[in-house]
Amino acid sequence: MLEIEQIAKTFHAGTPNEVRALQGVDLKIENGSFVIVIGTNGSGKSTLLNAVAGSFLVDTGRLRLKGQEITRWPEHRRAKYIGRVFQNPFSGTAPSMTIAENLALAAKRGRRRGLGWALSSSSRSDLNERVRAMGLGLENRLDNAIGSLSGGQRQSLTLLMAGLIMPDLLLLDEHTAALDPKSADQVIRLTDEIVRRDKLTTMMVTHSMQQAAHLGDRLIMMVRGKVMYDFQGAEKKRLTPQDLLDRFEDIRRSDKLDETVASMLERQYV
Amino acid sequence: MMQLIGSFSMGLILSLLALGVLISFRILSFRDLTVDGSITLGGTVAATLLVAGWNPWLATAAAFAAGALAGTTTGVLATKFQINGLLAGILVMTALYSVNLRVMGKSNLPLMKEKTVVTLAQSLSSPDAKWSIGRWEIPLQDLCVVGMVSVVIAVVASTMYAFFRTNLGLAMRATGDNEQMIRALGVEVGWMTTFGLALSNGLVALAGGLLVQYQGYADVQMGIGMVVWGFASVIIGESLVGSRQIGLLLIGAVMGSVLFRLLVAIALKWGLNPNDLKMVTALFVFAALVLPNVLESFRRRIRPVH
Ligand SMILES: Nc1ncnc2c1ncn2[C@@H]1O[C@H](COP(=O)(O)OP(=O)(O)O)[C@@H](O)[C@H]1O
Ligand SMILES: [Mg+2]
Repeated sequence: MLEIEQIAKTFHAGTPNEVRALQGVDLKIENGSFVIVIGTNGSGKSTLLNAVAGSFLVDTGRLRLKGQEITRWPEHRRAKYIGRVFQNPFSGTAPSMTIAENLALAAKRGRRRGLGWALSSSSRSDLNERVRAMGLGLENRLDNAIGSLSGGQRQSLTLLMAGLIMPDLLLLDEHTAALDPKSADQVIRLTDEIVRRDKLTTMMVTHSMQQAAHLGDRLIMMVRGKVMYDFQGAEKKRLTPQDLLDRFEDIRRSDKLDETVASMLERQYV
Repeated sequence: MMQLIGSFSMGLILSLLALGVLISFRILSFRDLTVDGSITLGGTVAATLLVAGWNPWLATAAAFAAGALAGTTTGVLATKFQINGLLAGILVMTALYSVNLRVMGKSNLPLMKEKTVVTLAQSLSSPDAKWSIGRWEIPLQDLCVVGMVSVVIAVVASTMYAFFRTNLGLAMRATGDNEQMIRALGVEVGWMTTFGLALSNGLVALAGGLLVQYQGYADVQMGIGMVVWGFASVIIGESLVGSRQIGLLLIGAVMGSVLFRLLVAIALKWGLNPNDLKMVTALFVFAALVLPNVLESFRRRIRPVH
């Protein structure tokens, strides 16, 4: 279980560029639940995932994973429990290393890395099997550099790598946003398959209302660094893409309202 | 011919420098300027210990250890104190100048009657034994030295090859290739970079340790411009093997170092002023770094527009 308690993060605090990216987020995510995260641009979705993964330490609040307090843990220490796929297909793999080598790296996520051979013949055939199961035909190219693959292939591999040793938490940050529609579909299918098969606790940020409505068993919507809506169970099941679009429209309208109120106050008092 | 053997031996010894630079420059993508200081450090440490009567192989190993310590320092400055990598290298290189003077107690230390790894190798053959091919006669002792250095290089290169196929070695390569990814896979990038710089400068200092035993003296100035030599060797090596595969990169670095040394010997023979050597080396590396980009943009410009 992941417990997020009142976390806040401000970038460039005390400067004119100050951004209050997270303003007190509270979430309890049960084991095995698949949480979709949506929200307008800059609402703090990536920041939330980064805070959980430990890309930076939060200013206030606490994070607990599997009952352990991880708030002050550096990213590499949390990696033992967390698998990640980034938005940019280039971020998740080492381009000049081979597919097999990248997988071997992922097979040691968060573990001690010693002087044992990274690729023995038995681990190779095991990896071969895992790659074949993805059905992309990459099992014949295990010794090709990752840099020679397409974005979709890379993202599929990153997904496989994130789940290679079962993570206690899988973080996916718009991992299909940079792909063409066909590859995006493929990666989403793979995601659904892996998450269901291993019952992975997952947080997935997406910009696609289709994905948001059809995947996952819980959906949160972020607005200006806060969780605005949280749909679970039957309520989440009923959501359609149109419902979600309507919510966005509501937010847009209330944002406008806020702006006009602010400018009215400004006119009166400044 | 004598000169050729000399240049060849020198190129071989300096290929340890190239292998060290390969780790920082290519594997870690870290522009490490510690090299000029650490090659000298290896030289001064080895020479001082030899004069103090140490076993030559132990003195050579101590040179490696001293270099590794220097590399560790650069790594800590760059990762723990977040100093720009270039600057961290320059700081350590500058500090090492004083360290080297302290180690030797003076700016130049000759090795006269000391037993060195080079004299050990030479003692495998009698002083006037010759090996003749055609009209050339090569002293067998020189060949023994080449053989000894070759064995050292073979051991170092194959150890590196093996290392970069272990879990730890793979993680080091990934650190230079994609830092974000390897951190998400649980590797502490700062520690890994520091470890890599330690290995790199250890090898560079090993080159320095062998170099002073080969040339018979240590000098605080001996490291000037060596980092550029290393870059040149690595770049030549890459174009020779035409690949980024780790085994070929290692072989390329050794070949690049030897070839570069031979090219320099030929250029000097043709009348290149030795004083201009460093300028020519720098220009060479400049060209090697810039030419590929220039050619690429040129090619793009002349490609017909549809
Ligand atoms: N590392 C950072 N440094 C400074 N500002 C950041 C950083 N990361 C995010 N931000 C800012 O925080 C806000 C939220 O960003 P983000 O979480 O990426 O939004 P999104 O919901 O689109 O993923 C944005 O205004 C963004 O510019
Ligand atoms: Mg984002």
